Amino acid sequence: MRTRNADKEQLVKQTAIDMIVKSGLEGFSMNKLAKACKISVATLYIYYKDRDDLILNIAMESGKLMSDAVIKNFDPELPFEDGLRQQWKNRYKFMVEHPKLNLFFEQLRSSSYQEEFLSGFLQEFKIVMSRFMQNVMERGEVAEMAFETYWSIAFSPLYSLARFDNEGKSMGGKPFKLTDDVLWNTFDLVVKALKK
Amino acid sequence: MTENFNHILLFKTNVNCAGDKLLLQTIFDSNPAIEQWSVDLEDEDCVLRIVSYSLTHQQIIELLNKHGYNCCELT
Repeated sequence: MRTRNADKEQLVKQTAIDMIVKSGLEGFSMNKLAKACKISVATLYIYYKDRDDLILNIAMESGKLMSDAVIKNFDPELPFEDGLRQQWKNRYKFMVEHPKLNLFFEQLRSSSYQEEFLSGFLQEFKIVMSRFMQNVMERGEVAEMAFETYWSIAFSPLYSLARFDNEGKSMGGKPFKLTDDVLWNTFDLVVKALKK
Repeated sequence: MTENFNHILLFKTNVNCAGDKLLLQTIFDSNPAIEQWSVDLEDEDCVLRIVSYSLTHQQIIELLNKHGYNCCELT
């Protein structure tokens, strides 16, 4: 009788993410994954129907993890600066704790899994985030603007810094390590740009 | 956590195109003993996965052989 083993399941998920981050989705296969985990292919097929099922399951679970982390202790009724600060804290903490997951999400972004992935975990997340944006605009703290403009200014700088940090270098190969000073200095500039 | 997975039957096959899959559909969909089935055409072993509480590996192998496919238990 085969049995379900939580440690093994965790190993499978972690290894799959590592492999996809390292070599992309194209070369990823159940066979390679089984070999890397030192388990039989049959064991993988016990847990998952096929390659798509495995990738989507791991994607949904990771997405849920992120969405929960990002909305933790976040109240969409908060004043703009406080709310955005909590967002940066949560997102930054998540990136530090799960450095591979952002790269994994990047891989999904350009794949056929993206649509299903987004429709799965994003519901509550989307509601909370858009509520916050609506609130700050209704209160006149932030000028009316397209959602994409708002998002790009509010969060893209954070993701750029995280990417530099992850790669250990910034433009032109200059060594870079993200410090709290740089992070919160950038945050202040973002607030300045958005706040009326 | 211990769960019984004896109802999940796994096979290595030579089912490798959408046409083959369609044929499997006609064979399996009409079989009340099969709860669920799927075949991973992207895998090098073309793994066939069947959920059935009553059928055995041997019965599935014979069924596929009868339709001209190679099929053996994936271990």
